Amino acid sequence: MTIGEQTAPPVADERSVLADIAGMLRTMLDEYGVDDIEITMQTRFTEDLELESIDLVALAGTLEARYGQHVNFAEFVADLELDEIIDLTVGRLVGHVVRKLRAAEGGS
Amino acid sequence: MAMVHTGGPRDGIELHVQRLPPPAGHPAAATAVLLHGLLTDSLASYYFTVAPGLAAAGLDVVMYDHRGHGRSRRPATGYQLESFVTDLERLLDRLEITGPVHLVGNCFGGTVAFEYAIRHPERVAGLVAIEAKPATASWATEIDGIFRRMVGELIEHEAESMAWITAHRGAHTARLARSAARLVRATTIARDVPGSRTRGAEQVRSVRCPVLAVYGAESELAGAGEWLESLLPGARSVVLPGQGHSVLAEAPGPLLDLLLWWLLDPGGTPPSPVPGAGLGRGPVAAGADVR
Repeated sequence: MTIGEQTAPPVADERSVLADIAGMLRTMLDEYGVDDIEITMQTRFTEDLELESIDLVALAGTLEARYGQHVNFAEFVADLELDEIIDLTVGRLVGHVVRKLRAAEGGS
Repeated sequence: MAMVHTGGPRDGIELHVQRLPPPAGHPAAATAVLLHGLLTDSLASYYFTVAPGLAAAGLDVVMYDHRGHGRSRRPATGYQLESFVTDLERLLDRLEITGPVHLVGNCFGGTVAFEYAIRHPERVAGLVAIEAKPATASWATEIDGIFRRMVGELIEHEAESMAWITAHRGAHTARLARSAARLVRATTIARDVPGSRTRGAEQVRSVRCPVLAVYGAESELAGAGEWLESLLPGARSVVLPGQGHSVLAEAPGPLLDLLLWWLLDPGGTPPSPVPGAGLGRGPVAAGADVR
């Protein structure tokens, strides 16, 4: 996988994962000419960031590049209804990533 | 996977591709290529619905955004059906998928699938058309009507239309509609798609592979299933009760059951919405009409 700007190894806590994901989202929003947007655990992808579902697919690729295949975004969303995906918050995704990273650390 | 250039002499294009392989250690049972619809659609419609389930069941799943859509490139011209079919042809070559594939197409994606099956019968193992029909003259007339309505409402009265969509359909649909309006304004798609070469019944009959055609009972297209069955001996149609045109978004569970049956176990017992198989499996298939 390509090495992005984030070269430090991932840390399995909420604060660092939020910082990582906020960085990925800023890069993506930058392509749309949107900058200086605050991203918190409560931020919703669609309503607040105006991202389309296809942007979430692209985000999945970036997540995999950063955290490896065990943070399986496709599997995560497969359990969600379409409405839940549209209402998805950054916090819910951060929670998923942290859980997966901890599981991998624990060797389980 | 991300951007793949289709190659080709002059009209090659960079397309956004996503591939979900079967679980590690399992050889792929078959390859399924999922084709999305026009304007507001993208591969996300599959990625967030049936695609993970198909991969988990052992299929090699290939999805891509059509030219002009999602995160694929958006040339200013070149949106006749033939171009979409050429993209599919070249993409499969580029991905070195040489054996016959199963094509699953939603709406216009289904039309692309039929056209591909007419052009390359030897490269198609089977075809699933969701709310779709082949590029007949009546298809061209209908799609022209859709584009004319869209240009009339969405492009010429964008502010009012967007306010209505936001109020009645929500912010996400409004965002998709806005990006569809951008596509129509920036390209010749509204002229090109209805102007595509059409096919007569005789040419549609040259589709040799098995065809599963799925429609929503409330959809205007629901009658197309019987027509296809009368034309193609290998066609079977299924009508999902209580569903309109948005079968893929609204009934992904029953649709996944149908796809798994058709793609992996066609000799087995069909899931419930298939006529003759009984009713009432799954919350959506059981829909209001059945109760």
